[in-house]
Amino acid sequence: MHSQTLLDRYIQLAGKLGGKHLVEGDMVHLYIPRENLVKAASTLFNEYRLTHRTCVAIDERPLNGFFTLTHIFTDDSSRLYVLVKTYLEGDNPVAPSIVGEVPAADWCELEAMDLLGIQFEGRRRERLVLPPYWPDGVYPLRKEFSYDQRLNLHAVSEKIEQAVETGVPVPIGPYHPALHEPEYFELYVEGERILDVKYRGFHVHRGIEKLAESRMTYQQVNFLAERICGICGFEHSTCYALAVEKAAKLDVPERAQFIRSIVLEVERLHSHLLWLGVAFHTLGYDAGFMHMWRIREKVMELAEALTGSRKTYGINMVGGVRRDINEEKRKKTIEVLNELEKEFSKIIDVAISVPQVKKRLTGTGVLPKEWAVKLGVEGPVARASGVDRDARRDLPYAAYKHASFKVPVYTEGDNMARALVRVDEVKESMSIIIQLLDAIPRGPIMLDKYEISEGRIGVQVVEAPRGGDIHYVLTGKGKPYRWRVRAPTYNNIPALRIMLRDQSLADAPLTIASIDPCFSCTDRIMVIRENGRVERISFNRGVPL
Amino acid sequence: MSKLLKPVKLVVIAGEAGRVTRKYPFEEPLVTPDFRGKIEINASKCIGCGACVNACPPNALQLIEDKEKLVLRYFIGRCIFCWRCIDVCPTGAIKGTREFELATDDISDLYTHVVHSRKACASCGNTYATEKIIRYVAEHASLSEEYLDKCPDCRKRNFIKALSRRRSGFE
Repeated sequence: MHSQTLLDRYIQLAGKLGGKHLVEGDMVHLYIPRENLVKAASTLFNEYRLTHRTCVAIDERPLNGFFTLTHIFTDDSSRLYVLVKTYLEGDNPVAPSIVGEVPAADWCELEAMDLLGIQFEGRRRERLVLPPYWPDGVYPLRKEFSYDQRLNLHAVSEKIEQAVETGVPVPIGPYHPALHEPEYFELYVEGERILDVKYRGFHVHRGIEKLAESRMTYQQVNFLAERICGICGFEHSTCYALAVEKAAKLDVPERAQFIRSIVLEVERLHSHLLWLGVAFHTLGYDAGFMHMWRIREKVMELAEALTGSRKTYGINMVGGVRRDINEEKRKKTIEVLNELEKEFSKIIDVAISVPQVKKRLTGTGVLPKEWAVKLGVEGPVARASGVDRDARRDLPYAAYKHASFKVPVYTEGDNMARALVRVDEVKESMSIIIQLLDAIPRGPIMLDKYEISEGRIGVQVVEAPRGGDIHYVLTGKGKPYRWRVRAPTYNNIPALRIMLRDQSLADAPLTIASIDPCFSCTDRIMVIRENGRVERISFNRGVPL
Repeated sequence: MSKLLKPVKLVVIAGEAGRVTRKYPFEEPLVTPDFRGKIEINASKCIGCGACVNACPPNALQLIEDKEKLVLRYFIGRCIFCWRCIDVCPTGAIKGTREFELATDDISDLYTHVVHSRKACASCGNTYATEKIIRYVAEHASLSEEYLDKCPDCRKRNFIKALSRRRSGFE
């Protein structure tokens, strides 16, 4: 299936570093001793140019007495997932930090520190996910912590650290009329020019991963996964379902995979139209905003007709989907899309020609390609900075191998490029849906019977409108033993610091909006929401900028 | 010049689109026929088996038990309208509706209760399954009335007694 030479280089790498390997479908598991982890990660990231997606720390003590840390890489050119796993001993495990070699691993290491109490060599512990007043020595994702345990917490304010010596701080958020979700940015300005930026997020932790591991069954988690994000929920539930199916080696009916792909693209349409509308609104071009949302309404109605709900479609299950697309719906979908295509081209043609839109999008919020690669940004943000990466093409899932489509790539890296990537993707999505509707095979839409055995691993990347979602599932008894989610905004936020620097303050809201941030996705994981007082950390502190 | 005037074209587009705002709530609800709204439980069909409770992701359906009664409670406040309960109900007691206008000033409007009485065991007198589920099992499986009217504990006890009687000849 895969070219042997490519596989060989991973197997040889494992051998050279005193580790073991296991190849399973499109996943290559490398078990590397902890002293060689940095070397392995560096070789994969800097030499082989793999994409670092995230890392997963697992409390496997009930199974084998170890904590484990798995770094997930994807080899987009040969369609492989490379998982580098290390076993860590003791109740207070210490792992080597790879952040010096792989800057993209910054946040996921901090998260492992917060939630599982894994120390990283050479890194000071700082709170990323948990609030600053969270007691020491309490690690919510460890198995001995029960999911309904309530801690007696007292909110305290934190000493404010200033990111730069000079400059006047301008706070944006956490509750701000122009923002839809709680997030906090602090911009340091000199006159109109932004000197530096700090971000503090994770205000809306909902303890989703712990909940799934504790209370829910495999089928129930689909609906929880869908609620990670209000806009790209279906991507998450598909990603979860595909990960479990991969772990359990289930052969899902083709028709179900087609329906998944079709609905995924419907979701992408609505998300991009929403974003374009919001971008025009941020620019003060409200007429464009209204018309974008007018045509978006057609997509919402289409989604309702196909799935039964405007949002949170709720049709994904492990083993298939719950709603079929009949002939009548097929015809209606094609009809709606044809109409939409015409209207969209007309409106976007006019909107992009508006001088204020053109001027403010062009040349603002530039993210150079070098940084896009280093920080591992995702989706339209990466594609606008010349990184040609799209999981639909590179790591095909569901039914995307049956559709042909272009992946738009721009090299400018500014807000205009990010807008144009999305405009092009809307057109591609419409064509994908029509292609898939033409080619959809007959047959069942759900597996009748299946079994999910324990202790199996599944990893899946799904290209959401904002970039790659990644779900990691380690199967357990009737429910996932460990479920790790990473949303694309998680990787895109750190890039904002690069984009905002030396820009005019007036362009900041637009640039922040240009990554199409989804804070609830990013914040998905944890347990506490007791009136978080704003605390400040400068993001990317571990990365030498 | 035409380039400068291009933005004005939006006026033409707006004219073609006309008025799109609908006069809801004075107009018919906007939902499509496939819309998933609140569920309705047919109390006469429900047997209190709890299949829906096991499938419900947000715990909107719950079973509350005491000695005499078993109550299936549906709370709209937690419902995510996924209709998984409809998929799994063995008797088709749950029906989906297109109703979505569920706001109310009285929280009791958001609850539906289906009350089942539990059958008392013929030999020990303790209550066990609901009467309806026993009837349902009797209809669908060839089990004798005598076996079904006893609680699981008594069935076990009787089974062991019978075994020992067969082996040893004594009670």
